[in-house]
Amino acid sequence: MTPFELAEPKTLNEAIALLDAEDPDVRPISGGTALMLMMKSGVFRPNRLVSLQRVEADYSRIQRGGDGTLRIGALASLSQIEHSGEVRQVAPVIEKTMRHLSNVRVRNVARLGGNLAHGDPHMDLPPVLSSLGAKAIVAGPSGQREIMIEELFSGYYETVLDRNELITFVDVPSQAGWSSVYFKCTTRSADDWPALGIACSLRVENGSIGDVRLMISAATEKLTRLVATEKVLRGQQASEALFERAGESAMAEAEVIDDSRGSASYKSELVRVYVKRALRQASVGATQS
Amino acid sequence: MTIHSLMPAGQVGRSLPRLEARAKVTGRADYVHNLRLPGMLIAKVARATVAHGRIVSIDTSAARALKGVFAVYTGEDIRKHIPQPYYGPAFHDQPILALDKVRHVGEPVAVCLAEDAHIAERAAQLIEVEYEEMPAVFDEVEAMDSKAVVHDVLKPAGTFPDLKHLHGKKDTNIALDFHLKRGDVEGAFASAAHVFEHEFHTQQVMHTPLEPMVSAAEPTREGLTIHTASQSPSFVRIEISRLLGWPENKVQVKVPHLGGGFGAKLYIKLEALVAALALMTKRPVKWSLTMEEQFYTISKHATTFRIKSAVDADGKVTGRSCAVYWNGGAYADIGPRVTQKSGFTAPGPYDIDNVAIESYALYTNRPPAGALRGFGIPQLVWAYESHTDLIARGLNIDPVEFRRKNILREGRPQATGTAMKDAAIDLVLEKIAERMNWSAPFDRGTGTVLRGRGVGVGFKASISPTTSVAFVNIYADGSCALYMSTVDMGQGSDTAMAQIVAEVLNVQTENVRVIHPDTDVTPYDMATLGSRSTFHMGNAVKLAAEDAKQKLEAMARSVGVPENANIETREIFKKKYGMQAGNVMGVGSFIPTYKSPDSVTGMSDNITPFWMVGGTGVEIEVDTETGHVKLTKLINVADMGRPLNPNIVETQLSGAAIMQLGFTMFENMEYDAGQVTNASFADYKIPGIHDIPPDIENHIVLAEQGGGPFGAKGVGESATFGVSPAIANAIHDAVGVRLTDLPLTAESVLRGIRLKAGNPIGE
Repeated sequence: MTPFELAEPKTLNEAIALLDAEDPDVRPISGGTALMLMMKSGVFRPNRLVSLQRVEADYSRIQRGGDGTLRIGALASLSQIEHSGEVRQVAPVIEKTMRHLSNVRVRNVARLGGNLAHGDPHMDLPPVLSSLGAKAIVAGPSGQREIMIEELFSGYYETVLDRNELITFVDVPSQAGWSSVYFKCTTRSADDWPALGIACSLRVENGSIGDVRLMISAATEKLTRLVATEKVLRGQQASEALFERAGESAMAEAEVIDDSRGSASYKSELVRVYVKRALRQASVGATQS
Repeated sequence: MTIHSLMPAGQVGRSLPRLEARAKVTGRADYVHNLRLPGMLIAKVARATVAHGRIVSIDTSAARALKGVFAVYTGEDIRKHIPQPYYGPAFHDQPILALDKVRHVGEPVAVCLAEDAHIAERAAQLIEVEYEEMPAVFDEVEAMDSKAVVHDVLKPAGTFPDLKHLHGKKDTNIALDFHLKRGDVEGAFASAAHVFEHEFHTQQVMHTPLEPMVSAAEPTREGLTIHTASQSPSFVRIEISRLLGWPENKVQVKVPHLGGGFGAKLYIKLEALVAALALMTKRPVKWSLTMEEQFYTISKHATTFRIKSAVDADGKVTGRSCAVYWNGGAYADIGPRVTQKSGFTAPGPYDIDNVAIESYALYTNRPPAGALRGFGIPQLVWAYESHTDLIARGLNIDPVEFRRKNILREGRPQATGTAMKDAAIDLVLEKIAERMNWSAPFDRGTGTVLRGRGVGVGFKASISPTTSVAFVNIYADGSCALYMSTVDMGQGSDTAMAQIVAEVLNVQTENVRVIHPDTDVTPYDMATLGSRSTFHMGNAVKLAAEDAKQKLEAMARSVGVPENANIETREIFKKKYGMQAGNVMGVGSFIPTYKSPDSVTGMSDNITPFWMVGGTGVEIEVDTETGHVKLTKLINVADMGRPLNPNIVETQLSGAAIMQLGFTMFENMEYDAGQVTNASFADYKIPGIHDIPPDIENHIVLAEQGGGPFGAKGVGESATFGVSPAIANAIHDAVGVRLTDLPLTAESVLRGIRLKAGNPIGE
């Protein structure tokens, strides 16, 4: 690690002003769990890091709206989210996901905003939050914009965020009537990065799939919504045969890539199986609620 | 018998906690990692980027120009100070920094020194090396006759008699060929009712000690002091003295605690470079590897094992031939010893009259391979216990029953001709069968979750001939200390050895001070490896304590204390010296008898001082849609004689089995053109807490090791032996799929299932 400048702005606007739209060697840092590894390995050599520590108080709260919506500050730590009663009430799938997300030491330090902005396709929260229909509130020099989580990622470790934009909040809409599950599939140790992540939220109305959001991550270059497979499902009677068909559809639709966790052809098989299992479990949850 | 049912009578047999436990959990234990010496320089190396290539030029100018860089050196600079800068335990083949050519990606080519580690690291990245690439060989079988030759000429160290014939050999990658022939193998195959032949492979894996390798050297008025995380301080001193042409007494080697070793920190690793740099700069120099760099430093041999058996109509194995190819990487390290010592057990713990073994140590252009918790045995057990299971299934005989029929029993000759002694192989097998309730009906699962079970049993000879020396010093107040060069790297040797002293001297173990290795103070020990310390050092410690006791008794007699008088030790010293003064120094030296294998037949009637025996039984669930294998039960059983400390024995068994579980299920060094593509914990996964089966049992069988200290022998490796084949056998049992390559990934299981169903998965 070579010397660099560490800025510690006291306001969000100062932080944004210290970032640089053109310079990839200037980056914001919150928990730093990913960034520090990149710096240690020499993959990233910053000129300047903009610490968000001093603006944390305003952007780490978790609030529940009267309409069942949830607003999570981007600087909330993952363990804060894991143990939040509000989060549990609105979207219990988030708490379940957290239990198998990295380890308690990382969850105590890593922040929600960094987890999303890192753009790593192996993260668990992007598929979960996008399947919940969540959006990121983003602040930049020219003001604020909203980006659906499913539209946040543009490629492998790439997002649509400008270098001088910061995620400030994540808004999760009311989940009334929705049932959600997340399946993390590892192929080596249990604490490995997932070979595949499948997140599924659906509503069952009179035995049929009223609506569905189906997300795939880790096995693909970036978080991807399985739009064609959702079409196979919508309005259809929930049944084992339908889930089988959806699994086949997802296998055909997802652009799965090779890596050390498995070949593309093997992971495609996992997509088929895990989409089926996710739908099965989510529809059971939907029927029971 | 479960381990804890053995109730202690005295100090030996007590399950007392580790003596160093409090210091470790409160962060007070000493590690070289934390060592800072005044004026210390930090070394960082630039590493080879090609697997095999001539060094055309090394441009160090940018590195030298970097502010804060103290010096930059290449192999040629080292050669000016040390004319023959090659080291190694079996071959003098490894240059301190690459000379003329590089033989594997990651080989150290140049070194940068700075007071600031970050500057040294940055400087190392600025070094530009031009190579003329040469053809490389990565596969151990291809290395047998490849055009790519890793070393122009073989340079055996001269320490081992069976390597002498390789001196000066050219155009070969074979760093040792071991042959054994007993009985009439051809005849056995000609008259066999059944012949089975299989080929098995293991992958290259790494030790991943959580404290990466680290060494520091300090120039002193007398010579050099080396602080190092080493399992073999005595060897480091000998080898550094040899490199420098110095007497041994000018080199002091000190070893505090180690954060794991597993064979990675053996013989000589970083010490040669820091010693050279300390002499060249006249300043203390420290070199700490990162976890990533360890992947390029030492590893466990990948292997190919071709095994063929002749079986008669009654299911008795009558002949077996074994050909084992060990992928030793670019430098021999201790690979040739693995090839021979493990090689002669390749036919397994079975009573087979006619055996032939060929075992080859091969140089390739991969990072070097050496010893890793089992010294080659787990690779062999993987193959012969998979093979044994396949024969049983082929003959439609229950796998445990088939083993019973063929198992090597007490007194029967092993492949080398040595009669088995104190090796309770049959008891280990029976204990596994009992704990698995083998004869009862077994739930095979339903739907997409099918269940299976399997066993594997292995054995190992101890390294020999080797020497251990220990001192026990009784101080004038009656307290005592043990001086030994056994390294406690987490296995609990400090505690176990202190228990031996305490037992002999009739004191509390907690009051025995253990002096850590310091070659200026502690006596010679061959090394802490191969589960040898309990037996070898344990005997030396016992002898030293007994010697001290006798000397104390003699002192008592000399000052007129009557026999069996109830007198405190301090009073004896007072009577002798008139005040609290003096010492009683007990010395113990132990070297067991041994006969090396015949150079032609491989035979010996005394091949090992003792045998280690270990076996594992598992129950698993296979997800037939994904290929995931879940261990639901893991039973480890060992014969380790009588336990000195049952608690430590238990943790050694479970630790060894869990380590081997990682090597079985997912650990794998992956390559692209000789470059390890997953050289970090992000991509090279070791077992975590969630990978440990819910039901894990560790047992020892009731046994006693003749000649062992209080009937004990080593236990650090025994539970690694059976894990891999037990799981592969259980997978076969569950879904009818036989895997012959480690690791047993979910993908390979699913591919097998789908292939069998006539619905294969595409490439």
